[in-house]
Amino acid sequence: MRQLINAILKYKNILIYLGLLILSFVFLHQRSLYHHSIFSNASLILSSKFNLIGENFTKYIDLTEQNEKLLAENKKLKVLELIQFGEHSNKSKVLDSFGFEVSTARIIKNSYSNARNYLLIDKGYKDGMEVETGVISSDGVIGVINQVTSNFSSVLSILHRDLKINAGFKKNGAYGTLYWLGNHPKIMKLDDVSTLNTVAVGDTIVTGGMSDYFPYGIPIGTVINYKKPEREGYYDIKVKLFSNLTQKEFVYIVKNKKNDQLKQLKFE
Amino acid sequence: MNSDNVISVFQFIFLLFLQAFLLNNINLFGFINPNLYLLFIVIFRLNDNSTLLIFLGFLMGLLLDLLTQGSGGHTIASLTIAFLRPYIIKFSFGVNYEIPMGMVQGTLYSQRLLYLILVIFVHHLVLFSIIYFSFDNIITIIKNTLFTSFFTFILIYISLGLFKEKK
Repeated sequence: MRQLINAILKYKNILIYLGLLILSFVFLHQRSLYHHSIFSNASLILSSKFNLIGENFTKYIDLTEQNEKLLAENKKLKVLELIQFGEHSNKSKVLDSFGFEVSTARIIKNSYSNARNYLLIDKGYKDGMEVETGVISSDGVIGVINQVTSNFSSVLSILHRDLKINAGFKKNGAYGTLYWLGNHPKIMKLDDVSTLNTVAVGDTIVTGGMSDYFPYGIPIGTVINYKKPEREGYYDIKVKLFSNLTQKEFVYIVKNKKNDQLKQLKFE
Repeated sequence: MNSDNVISVFQFIFLLFLQAFLLNNINLFGFINPNLYLLFIVIFRLNDNSTLLIFLGFLMGLLLDLLTQGSGGHTIASLTIAFLRPYIIKFSFGVNYEIPMGMVQGTLYSQRLLYLILVIFVHHLVLFSIIYFSFDNIITIIKNTLFTSFFTFILIYISLGLFKEKK
């Protein structure tokens, strides 16, 4: 014990220096946006590298199982695509003229237990990824890209309490804002739907066309429960997601090819 | 001893405010702001109490950053130089460094000059490396370090002369 105290006394200058140095780096990180972004970028690169190593290992171990899952997913996707094409032939013309470009990526890290969840995918700006691009899966919406490095991107999951997306009813087009409540990974809340519209349990919710991130009509979930306020106002709707975000492997990135024009219009 | 402490406190406050409100607004040739507050660390007299100097260096940089809306470069730079000062003294004056203020008779002129230049140069190198924080700007860092070091050196050299006359 005495030796330990002696050692601490001997190196106290170095210890104090390192302690204060860490403190001043925290200060730097807090005060300067430039340093903040450099630190967070470095941590993103580091964490994605480590996650990729671990993910590659597990991926190799259960390769056959993943192949089967992927096949099943592809089949499901095909069916959905056909259904949608049949039902919304007039809407899909609008979609074509908007020009969404689809590419695939693999999830290398996925969290769903925090209040604000992120995913990492293995495509970066070398593969044409950009921030504020929508990410979907075979059976629903995943999130929006918020940060891009050369080989990786981080995605704000829809299980993130600050992310709100435009969604509406498939049957009549009434739309509102969909967001996560923060507890169950399959239950979300749809707000801002006016009581002028009729709502029934079991109605399908799809993405609304008013978002820059997602094209119209990607199925999200069904209504499981709703409350009508006593006076006029907005419904309080709970939505159960089709997709299970706790077991996703492959995602599709939907890039709006004409986003720059849209942005230009909005700012003018 | 007691009056020395009081003088140190006044030096600290005077140099801090001089730096924050006058010298940081000089912008000679657009980018040179001499850092005279280093004088406090250069002439700090208690050689055996290096822990106190580390704290004071940290405090000086922190207050300066807070007063000038700086990002935190001064904090890290003056903390580092306060920590390194005993090693620099050892390096420039030899092992027998029982020299308060580092500027007393009995030391060679070249040794004093080496000490001064080392303190100033290391401080500015750390300062600008932290402020730019990128390998792409290495030319800017070196340019700023050299020019600002030069002007800081001139100022500190003149001020040392003033302080010596008073003693």
